[in-house]
Amino acid sequence: MEARCTACGAALELPCACKACGALQPLATERDPWTELGFEPGFDLDEALLKKRLLSASRLVHPDFHGADAASRELAEALSARLNRAHAILADEARRADALVVLLGGPDESTSREMPREFLLEVLEWNEVLEEARQARSWSATVESLRDELAVRRHGVLADVRALLAPTPARGDARLQPARAKLNAARYLDRALGELEALRLSATRS
Amino acid sequence: MGYIELNVLNQPVAPQQQGALGIDLGTTHSLAAIWKDGRPQVLRVEGESALVPSVVHFPREGAPVVGQAAREQAIAAPKDTLFSIKRFMGRGLGDVQQELATLPYAASETERGLIQLEVHGRKYTPEQLSALVLRKVHETASRALGETAPTRVVVTVPAYFDDTQRQATRDAARLAGLEVLRIVNEPTAASLAYGLDQRDKGVVVVYDLGGGTFDVTVLSIEEGVFRVLSTAGDTHLGGDDFDAALVTLARAEIAAAHGAEVLADAGCQQALRLACERCKIELSSAPRGEIHLVIPERRLAWRREVSREEFEALVAPLVERSMAACRQAMSDAKLAPERIAEVVLVGGSSRIPAVRARVAAFFGRKPHSELNPDEVVALGAAVQAHILVGGKRDILLLDVTPLSLGVETMGGAVSKIIQRNSTVPCSATEGFTTYADDQTGIDFHIVQGERELAADCRSLGRFKLRGIPPMPAGMAKVGVRFHIDADGVLTVTAKEEGSGASASIDVQPMHGLTDAEVEGMLASSFEHAKDDFEARRAADLATEIGTMVHAVEKNLNAARAGLDKESLLDLEEALARAKAAARDRDARALQKARDEFERASLPLAALLMNNVAQKALMGRSLDEV
Repeated sequence: MEARCTACGAALELPCACKACGALQPLATERDPWTELGFEPGFDLDEALLKKRLLSASRLVHPDFHGADAASRELAEALSARLNRAHAILADEARRADALVVLLGGPDESTSREMPREFLLEVLEWNEVLEEARQARSWSATVESLRDELAVRRHGVLADVRALLAPTPARGDARLQPARAKLNAARYLDRALGELEALRLSATRS
Repeated sequence: MGYIELNVLNQPVAPQQQGALGIDLGTTHSLAAIWKDGRPQVLRVEGESALVPSVVHFPREGAPVVGQAAREQAIAAPKDTLFSIKRFMGRGLGDVQQELATLPYAASETERGLIQLEVHGRKYTPEQLSALVLRKVHETASRALGETAPTRVVVTVPAYFDDTQRQATRDAARLAGLEVLRIVNEPTAASLAYGLDQRDKGVVVVYDLGGGTFDVTVLSIEEGVFRVLSTAGDTHLGGDDFDAALVTLARAEIAAAHGAEVLADAGCQQALRLACERCKIELSSAPRGEIHLVIPERRLAWRREVSREEFEALVAPLVERSMAACRQAMSDAKLAPERIAEVVLVGGSSRIPAVRARVAAFFGRKPHSELNPDEVVALGAAVQAHILVGGKRDILLLDVTPLSLGVETMGGAVSKIIQRNSTVPCSATEGFTTYADDQTGIDFHIVQGERELAADCRSLGRFKLRGIPPMPAGMAKVGVRFHIDADGVLTVTAKEEGSGASASIDVQPMHGLTDAEVEGMLASSFEHAKDDFEARRAADLATEIGTMVHAVEKNLNAARAGLDKESLLDLEEALARAKAAARDRDARALQKARDEFERASLPLAALLMNNVAQKALMGRSLDEV
């Protein structure tokens, strides 16, 4: 059934507000990020369209335009917060895949912490170099090549995730478990890359 | 006359609600702008600077003095003249040891950990002091407009301000009797002033080096939407630090030549600071500057030439600190400097040539500096104010929260709830549970910052959840919602979900000013404002009577013969009463005396006018009368 505006009855392009009359829509139970921004759930996403939707939806729900009374300001705050959260998830490949696995009934991060076996062996090696870098607090050619290696691996892991999640599997599909394991690996890589970036910035500073 | 603007402050009468002011509340100076005739305009009184020094002076008796007049007291009364108030906003005593080391103020802390500065044995929070500055800015705006300025305002803060600093700013505005429509980040405001929405799309960097704070913000502009991608900064880096570098140099040399005791006096220190600031400003337009310090009471006359090269070497570490923040912001935005379409310079300290050169080199392009860097933030705030009162809908700002928000976990680590550079408004919900049977309360500690340990982050305070229904340990499920609003200010709400009863949970913040405290201060400030107003009115009336007495005495002897006896007697009595009343401090008595004196002097005035007219008819010029 097509959603309609609670104020004017026009068909809603996005669930947060009505483009036709500008009315904010009531704060329903939280929706998945795709629905929030008018997409079908899936790994592949038109990023230019995503940005366009964020901007046009923000123009409708941002508190800047709903300051007349406390109630509408508060509603606008809550709707904007949801919109921004949905956008943040969809704009990041790994977070998007993570949300998709959960939405399709797959294991979430807290229940399944396993990583691909071959990956674990590499993690041990990387951790050694990481620990050395932590101790030295300086940026070296070794650290830089570790950074490059991790970046390449992250790219590869996400390509694997894409292969598992696109086209979108059915609810409870067997591919969701290996996708989760790959995402756990991606999460490890993101953390390590984040730490290396912080190290690079602080090394440039001194 | 001086009454109009004072009335505004003392009587919360219906203000002009059409527009709204944009106010830049700065470390060294503050100013207001308003949207008028289709563009933002700085509000300045003819013949005066638009910049109100953010300085408050407390005379031993009478009302506080704010702005330029206060700044002029800096050397004569250094301990009673408060500078750099913004550096203390939302801070505790422990946070500002560095500031206190260089400023001659006595400070203490409230039980809730707020700093208070002491003058003449009275304690003032930075909120109260900033409120005085804001009132002065509003008063100046009213004089510039020729009518009561709107009391609805947009106030700017450094992008890197944390939650407590933002709340303190909002409280200060409330104390000044202003309604805060929005707290806007200074660099974001500046980007609005530059009209960068006119360009179709692109990424813009705003480099904002002010009097006391530094921010760098990366924004993407597309279809009139200004979306902040990242922001980074340093709330302890600004023009004050550049002055301090020169002060350190000068102190060492003066101590070597004249002995260290010369500079022990707070007034001398203040004089030296101002001399160094002048030298710094000179060096922005000339290759050589001079620190020139004259303190007659100490028989000290000291000059020191400073070349631009020497100055640049002194401040290079400070400039590099700003570049570190630039690298962080670019890294967070996941952009290389080549991707930047425009760079905009904001803040008085961005006038320093070494700063400009370094920024140009880093981003590989010449930065914009067409607009006055002291005014651009207020102008942008006026644009945002205009948007918020419904005047403009084609522009939208999407800003971010500068610091990650987290909860302290067992063991003192931080569990992040909201990541830095998340677009605001944003919210997140975190589940809490009880660890003992029939436990009805939960305490938790909220911090802001990027460090792993809670102790290394900025504490936003401990929150208490009260009113959880009694049930076995671990059964209660309290959903705590953290919401950062469009002002960048956090609100915490909680709901018990486990019991299904959805009991409302009372959340008590343990920091900052409570609403009751703000109300209390507001009430007492209105009382003081009334006293201030009465005192000012009395002073003005006494001056006016003085002028009238002088005029009457000057003319009375010559005109005595022409007056009838009754009028003469009446006038002489009124004159005596007026002279007595002028020493009075009661405004009502003064008003009465003035009015009676004016009435009694009417026959004399008529006579004088007649004489003038006759002489004019006799062909003599008025000048000769």
